[in-house]
Amino acid sequence: MKLSAILPVARVLRRELAVTALLLLGVSVVVFTVLQLAPGDPLNVLLEGQSPRSQQAVREALGVSHTWYGRYGAWLAKVVQGDFGSSIRTGLPVLPELARVGVNTLYLTLGSLLLTLLIAVPIAVHAAVNGDTPGNTVATVAAYIVSAVPVFWFGYIVVYVFIHYFEMFPLLSGAAAKQEHAWLYFLVPIFVLGTASGTLSELIRHLRDELSRVLAEDYIRTARAKGAPVWRHAFKEGFLIPVTELMSAKIPFLLGGAVIVEQVFNWPGMGRMAWQAAQDRDFPVIMGIALVAAAFVRSGNLLQRVVFTMVNPRASKG
Amino acid sequence: MRRFVQTQGPIGEFSALPLLQRAETRDLLYVGYGLLIVALVIASYLMGAFGWLPHDPRQMDVGLINAPALTAGHLLGTDFLGRDLQSRLILGIQAYFLPGLLAIAISVAGGCVLGVLAGYRGGWLAAVVTYIDNLLDSFPRLVLILLVIAAFKADIYAIMIVVGITGMPETANLVSGKIAFLKQKNFIEAAHALGLPAHTVILKHILWLNCRTLLVIQATLGMAEAIIVETSLSYLGFGVQEPTPSWGNMVQAGANYFLQGNFWPSTAPALAILATILGFQLLGDGLNNMLEGKRRRG
Repeated sequence: MKLSAILPVARVLRRELAVTALLLLGVSVVVFTVLQLAPGDPLNVLLEGQSPRSQQAVREALGVSHTWYGRYGAWLAKVVQGDFGSSIRTGLPVLPELARVGVNTLYLTLGSLLLTLLIAVPIAVHAAVNGDTPGNTVATVAAYIVSAVPVFWFGYIVVYVFIHYFEMFPLLSGAAAKQEHAWLYFLVPIFVLGTASGTLSELIRHLRDELSRVLAEDYIRTARAKGAPVWRHAFKEGFLIPVTELMSAKIPFLLGGAVIVEQVFNWPGMGRMAWQAAQDRDFPVIMGIALVAAAFVRSGNLLQRVVFTMVNPRASKG
Repeated sequence: MRRFVQTQGPIGEFSALPLLQRAETRDLLYVGYGLLIVALVIASYLMGAFGWLPHDPRQMDVGLINAPALTAGHLLGTDFLGRDLQSRLILGIQAYFLPGLLAIAISVAGGCVLGVLAGYRGGWLAAVVTYIDNLLDSFPRLVLILLVIAAFKADIYAIMIVVGITGMPETANLVSGKIAFLKQKNFIEAAHALGLPAHTVILKHILWLNCRTLLVIQATLGMAEAIIVETSLSYLGFGVQEPTPSWGNMVQAGANYFLQGNFWPSTAPALAILATILGFQLLGDGLNNMLEGKRRRG
């Protein structure tokens, strides 16, 4: 790779890393604020019925700061070191638990993104190249309908079909992993999240609009006129940028959808953990999940910016 | 005097044709279906609010469990406890209608304030608004809502405040984009040159005369979002609890009978969710294509 190609990327990476750090700091402030405003400080529960003076003494002995910024500083220092505290329900430290189940959520979300791409790209490209045909109108309306289907209900339909037509029981997660065809069990939730989360229809619409806009540009007409391969010229602006743009914008939606899909399929991931934590009011866990999810979203965004700059080095200036 | 309406594209080309002749048939169909759904939802909300229901939604009938649709006396059949599904579906609208309106009000009002700050004032304020926008986009919304539920034992109205706040950036972006367009056309400069005070320019000329269609569209799409959130949460067991019906908890409760082959008790509310969300989304997008010119969503 030439130096002239690396320089703009490095410049953007530096800027975007700073922005990402600033945003993650903001994320931590939001999470901490919610935590502070929550009624029912654990110490209050612990010290219930004690005199204010002895309460104060215990707080001081435990080193709890008086000021909110003191508490925030202490909390942030721990979080940065990877100490998210321990789950109130299980007593296990949060971060290793999150790492354990986070991998499952990663499979689910990345798998469904891949599936969405496999379905959406051919449809969108076909629509962009051929223009407004009756088939495209049908596809557009179908995409609207699919994006409005409630994910949880669709999950039951798929489970039912699997049980009745393939005689498989993807509901029993632990046992199913040991069965033959166990890999199929992993595909079902991915299929549900990939098709019914609304990402599919938005990707089709976005890619179709962008690609047909680019295909109508003058430089594509020139390429076509001189017999150059149109696809190679349209690829960067008409395909790579819209796809990466939408994929990074949809990561938060997929993580949100994962909460529901994991619930339907008993998938042992971060979404189910978040659900459980909200049920039990397990602060450290839900806080850790919010932080990790935000970090995940921001890294996706960072990646998108890097791709964008590699395709369009001018973006590094300004 | 002829009226000019902006269509197509960011710079705006003007057409003097009447709206109905200019619009594409497809968009008219979208809007027609959407308006039908909105009318149904409002009518059903009022029926539920005043208690004009075909049956008592809590009345169980053990002799008539899981009746299919079009059973005598029960237009949409009954659920697994013999309760009338039609009445429960109508009453389920109570769970999201007013909370949804709250979410819309917050996202539209907050979005206007942020959008005007970013677009009209500009400078460092625009940077701050962009920062807030990115910050709110960093959280998966459902995770943020679960965090708030864990912290405050939040009810549906508190949750809808969160939904409204997370919906603000999108409206803000559209408003500030509109202001940038008006600035490019020198409309704002002209208004100032006529000696109009800033608040008149912002409230009347920018927000009322130029942003109201956009805000109506945002409100319509916002209602679809609110319904998705409410049904998802009540499916997950937060929010409205049995025996009070909500479409989400009806799907969840009916799902226990799904695998035995009784589809209807959970499919009926699921279809209601589908048709309603579709209605609001098509209404929003159709109006948008007709009045604002196509814009990118994503």
